[in-house]
Amino acid sequence: MAEGSYLQAVKEAIVKLDFAGVVKATQEALNAGIDPGKVVTEGFVPGMVIVGEKFEKCEYFLSELVVAAEVMKEGMKVIQPHLKEESVKKLGKVVLATVEGDLHDIGKNIVGSLLKAQGFEVIDLGINVPPARIISAVQEHQPGILGMSALLTITMPKMGEAIESLKQTSLRQKVKVIVGGAAVTPAFAEKIGADYCAANAVEGVKKCVQWATA
Amino acid sequence: MAEMTRRERLLAASRKQRADKLPFFHYWRHSQIGYAERECRNRGMAFVWERPSFTTEIHDVEITERKTVSKGMTVYRRTYTTPIGSVFVDERREPGYGQWHGLRGWKDVLPWEVERLIKGPEDYAVVKYIVEHTEYKPDYFPIEQAKDWVGDDGIVIDFHPHSPMQMLMIDWVGSEEGRFFIHHARYPELVEELYRALSKSREAMYEIAAKSPADVILGGDNIDGVLVNPRLFEKYFMPEYEKMAKVMHQHGKLLAVHMDGRVNNLKHLIARTPIDIVEALHPPPTGDLPISEALSLWKDKVIWVGMPGPVYELGTGETKKFTLNLLRDIIPGERVCIAMSTENIVSNDNLLMVSSVLENADLPLTEDKIDKIEKSLG
Repeated sequence: MAEGSYLQAVKEAIVKLDFAGVVKATQEALNAGIDPGKVVTEGFVPGMVIVGEKFEKCEYFLSELVVAAEVMKEGMKVIQPHLKEESVKKLGKVVLATVEGDLHDIGKNIVGSLLKAQGFEVIDLGINVPPARIISAVQEHQPGILGMSALLTITMPKMGEAIESLKQTSLRQKVKVIVGGAAVTPAFAEKIGADYCAANAVEGVKKCVQWATA
Repeated sequence: MAEMTRRERLLAASRKQRADKLPFFHYWRHSQIGYAERECRNRGMAFVWERPSFTTEIHDVEITERKTVSKGMTVYRRTYTTPIGSVFVDERREPGYGQWHGLRGWKDVLPWEVERLIKGPEDYAVVKYIVEHTEYKPDYFPIEQAKDWVGDDGIVIDFHPHSPMQMLMIDWVGSEEGRFFIHHARYPELVEELYRALSKSREAMYEIAAKSPADVILGGDNIDGVLVNPRLFEKYFMPEYEKMAKVMHQHGKLLAVHMDGRVNNLKHLIARTPIDIVEALHPPPTGDLPISEALSLWKDKVIWVGMPGPVYELGTGETKKFTLNLLRDIIPGERVCIAMSTENIVSNDNLLMVSSVLENADLPLTEDKIDKIEKSLG
């Protein structure tokens, strides 16, 4: 079988949300001697891109994005032991957090998975993250992008607090801030001084890629 | 038209009858008590109280609770032990937990579930056992008492837990890390079996609600088309609403469902449901469906509009502008009630601003009337 066919099988398993299929296809690609990095960049990544396109066309919904990311993780488990760090391109670092008081993380996690698929290094601080912890993570990891998420209107102001704290440091000019979540609007994002308000995970990740490749 | 009481106004609009003014109300659980609330009530603001019509008893299941440390956090672990195995939830509790929320902000009296009841496939059978051994019993006193207290100043509604599939999505499996979607993809038979068991068990609860003294039954879902996508809504939610509505309507009750998310992608499906009241529908910017479009699509339904929290965040000027635009969007104002907030507490200033617009919203609304309201506010 040609190399392209193995990679196509990996890609299709992701698009079809096939847990068993991705493990089988990934293992077969490795057994055929295909470079593990290539399996990621030409199997997993285009698979996730198609899933994202289907989401934008409303053929897939958030549930399929979540499951596709999980299917990719299943394939990554097979490939991780064989993967050399330098074989996958890195677009830069992104620090992600669901802000203090908020436990909702579906959107943030989808963003994280899609960013990883695009080649970003993701530092996920988790849920209920106070502004001070966000700032110390930015200081420690020096990301190009900070992404903050909130679902609840009562927790949204924490995004503004984090941006205000960033301004107190020299870091604000060095990091792009993207915010998202069901209740977050462009007007609110502008008011708190964020650089961008993502309408959804796919669109937000596109913006991050645009920033990283500009 | 003779002036209606707040109760008459809310019920008339909710029953698709002509009201004298646009009904607006605050949920008792969100409402501050004080000068702003008094002033707003003097301006015509009603109260809506949510109270339950039933109690539950779980048979043949031992429930124990202990304080422990899990993942570096102090949690309260509640374990349900059944003859076929056990499951547990871990709750993180703020210092105010256990106190009546009227004595504190309600935010710090609610526990956070940090470990859900269903963690893996092995837990489904145990939870199904619990469901099948849960008995619903009528208890109408809370509603009767609230009706007596509130009188003509508002209405009391029977508040229900999430519908069966949303119990799995939000409460038992949980949406954190997309867990429900992953379970639904990996273990569809287990998810569906538990869904069917809960749907069957809930029939007793619907019967009790239908015979309760409440006029409106609020099916306590939390519908957002991003999480509850059209495929899930059609397969698991619509049949349940049909089942609920059938028994509610037999007893003259109105069925409301909480839909405060983005429902544009569900709008045609919602039109096909027998729901009477789409409760908490948020217009843009929080929601993605203008109220005028919803009214036009759902001609047999009433909308209880939820005022979007992000608008309140922008201050009283934006709140006034938004409220006036909302009135223009819903002309002539039939089949609509306005909830001051369905999410959390509104500031006194915003509460006063919204009520200053709505107190003069006589029906039917016209552009002229709204212009006059705007001018009167300066």
